[in-house]
Amino acid sequence: MSTQFGALCSLILLEHFGEIVQKVGNDLYKCQSKPLRLIPGSTKLPLQKVKEALRIMIQYDFVTFSMGQLPDRAEYTLLADKVVLLLRYPRYLLLMKTQYGDEAEMLIEEILRQGKDTASRVIIRAATRLKESLKVEKVCLVTLRDKFLVLVNKQFVMRCPYPSEEKDVPELTIKEKQLYLPPDINLKGLSDLEEGKPGNPGDEGICWRVNLDRFHQDFRDQIMVSAISRRLDDNAGELLRQLLKQMYLRTEPWVATSNPVPFTELREAVRKQSSYPLLAQYVDQYLKIMEEDSSGFVSKVGDSSGGQYSLNMKTAFIQLTWATIENIVMERFGSKAARIFRLVKAKKFVEQEQIQQIAMIPAKEAKLLTYKLLEENFLQMQELRKSLASNVPNKTFFLFYIDLNQVARMVLEMCCKALYNAMTRREYERSENRRMIEKQQRIELITLNMKEQGATSEQLAEIEEMLTPPEQALLEKVRIMINRLNEAELQLDETMFILQLYLSYQI
Amino acid sequence: MTTNKPEESVRNGNDQLSSLESSEHRILALAKGSGKGISDKDIQNEVPDLRPDQRASIINKLLAQGYFDLFNQGGTLLYKLKDPSRIQKVKGADNEEKIVYSIIEEAGNKGIWIRDIRFKSNLIPTQLNKILKILENKKLIKAVKSVSASKKKVYMLYNLEPDRTVTGGAWYCDQDFEAEFVDVLNQQCYRFLHQKLEATRDCKGGPIAARNISYASSKDVWKYISELGISKVQLSVEDMETILDTLLYDGKVERCVTTDGSHLYRAVESLLPAPGIVRIPCGVCPVLRHCSDVGSVNPKKCVYMKEWLE
Repeated sequence: MSTQFGALCSLILLEHFGEIVQKVGNDLYKCQSKPLRLIPGSTKLPLQKVKEALRIMIQYDFVTFSMGQLPDRAEYTLLADKVVLLLRYPRYLLLMKTQYGDEAEMLIEEILRQGKDTASRVIIRAATRLKESLKVEKVCLVTLRDKFLVLVNKQFVMRCPYPSEEKDVPELTIKEKQLYLPPDINLKGLSDLEEGKPGNPGDEGICWRVNLDRFHQDFRDQIMVSAISRRLDDNAGELLRQLLKQMYLRTEPWVATSNPVPFTELREAVRKQSSYPLLAQYVDQYLKIMEEDSSGFVSKVGDSSGGQYSLNMKTAFIQLTWATIENIVMERFGSKAARIFRLVKAKKFVEQEQIQQIAMIPAKEAKLLTYKLLEENFLQMQELRKSLASNVPNKTFFLFYIDLNQVARMVLEMCCKALYNAMTRREYERSENRRMIEKQQRIELITLNMKEQGATSEQLAEIEEMLTPPEQALLEKVRIMINRLNEAELQLDETMFILQLYLSYQI
Repeated sequence: MTTNKPEESVRNGNDQLSSLESSEHRILALAKGSGKGISDKDIQNEVPDLRPDQRASIINKLLAQGYFDLFNQGGTLLYKLKDPSRIQKVKGADNEEKIVYSIIEEAGNKGIWIRDIRFKSNLIPTQLNKILKILENKKLIKAVKSVSASKKKVYMLYNLEPDRTVTGGAWYCDQDFEAEFVDVLNQQCYRFLHQKLEATRDCKGGPIAARNISYASSKDVWKYISELGISKVQLSVEDMETILDTLLYDGKVERCVTTDGSHLYRAVESLLPAPGIVRIPCGVCPVLRHCSDVGSVNPKKCVYMKEWLE
């Protein structure tokens, strides 16, 4: 946990929850965990405000509490990783929209908005919003409930833990079998509630939250499938997707290497789908190619029932991290430097002289690039002495090598910094043009009101003209800028995702 | 070096001079006969009528002329005949020249640096320079510029082809590394392999067949490049492999080894497109380390960002 990460965290809290939450968050980030009474002292905030801030952060699972050093005094801990995940929410919603439709997206969005909530309230709010956005009178509550059940079934949402017994510091627990137990919702009560009448949907007290790991699992699979599609072709990508599906039937999703999947089952699964005729014809060949490919995603572990194949998640992410970092070196220092970087990777430990010879780069340039990479910490140097005595003239070898773990962490830091910069810049652009943006919003509001009152088109045009053409051009420019920065934030998050996953597999 | 002619003269006359000459030849013949070298005793047995002082003078003469090498083996002195072709070359040269010559000869086609000659021969620099010049003029040795250090000259025998480490092989022209030439070859090789890969896109024989088509051996690539005629110098298959290896380290091709030990190459795509971080200026920013909220390098006033956003 670095200062850079803390800064990013604090900026995100400021943007979404305001200054008070940011201050409390910062304070908690600095020290591992803290009892409530100490926070007002260091933040100079009134106790009431601190309590509110903590309540908000607990609601969103950003803060946890547990029994501290003193008995019956809770200590609060900030989960900074979860705060940074706020940036990923748009991607979660996009995944929902593309795979499970608009209703699912709306449901997930409502849960994310609240942090945690009961199923009935989520469904009713989603229904209201769907009515607004689709401009219809009635939304079928049954479909929404069914969608919710599907999400529970697919483990995208899960039950929140609850206090098990009366204690001074409650301990939140939940039994594993209850986690994805579908809710029992009384539809009559639900529709009564929706119409504004008092009703009882029958799920009071059971809160749900989003299972972010499940989303990450889908992201991971997407990355792997698209990587294989790039390397081989779409058929191979589809085969990997089927393989992943088969894998989940018998393996925990986050293990480093999956349990073996028999070939016969895989072939059956491939046959059932019809959109890839070529794949069905050549399943065995595609498997063989994937197995022999240098990416090492798939390996054969046995010969029974036509061959047993397992997926190597850990290897896959080592490879993907290498690819990411190689690309970064390429963009930062040019293709010659990338060549040197890959060469050191292949040779493990190598001398300067050898680098320039094998890489076929003029000596001077090779030296410059190698030491540049060393300076920026992409390469490390190992000194090898023949004897340790300092007064004897002896030859010392200087060997270059790469510590992937360290480089990955460093790049992750760079990502944090870049994210922080992009967000700062975006806020800066927004505040610089605040007057203009507010003016535009005011005008839009007036136009809307006038329209409702039945104004003539002449009147409307007159109001529109309150914004001069140069002003409009400027606004358009700012809008493009902010969009661009937003987009960059999402892309940065993708890089971070790969690196974080790699590091989590290393533990 | 010996002939049978003197034997007649031994029979004919007992002239002092001719007898000395004949014993000289007999000694030489004896030395030629035994590969291990001859001792003083061997000579005595061969030419019993020779007086010790005469024997000494003959041997000294032969040693001076460079016919013999002197060895000390287990307390006895051994005389061994030198390789006749080598004697020829330094004929008429003095001892220093011979020593310098033999040092240079030892270095083979890797050559030897003047400083190392000086250490080995214990000659003073001016004298050594003079000797080297003489030998060069006689076309016995030559000076070759090394690629590893442009000012360093190494000496080797005149008729030797310099080693690759000295000349740098096909990639050097007058001690300069031809980076452009290498780049062009690198691109052409990639084009060739990429075309092969493209050709497999609509291959009907299944994925394995398609993959096997996309493989090319280093010999295929060598043929293609030779036919293109971009290279003025003759390239070998090994040269081609060094070029293909640079492509390997560029991450553009993949290498595999066949059963007979030769290498096959094929073009591959990287697993991932350019990552998100390099799509914003911070990813490639040279002053990222100095960037913070305070100071003149900060995200709000960043010129790179400004350029990128416009």
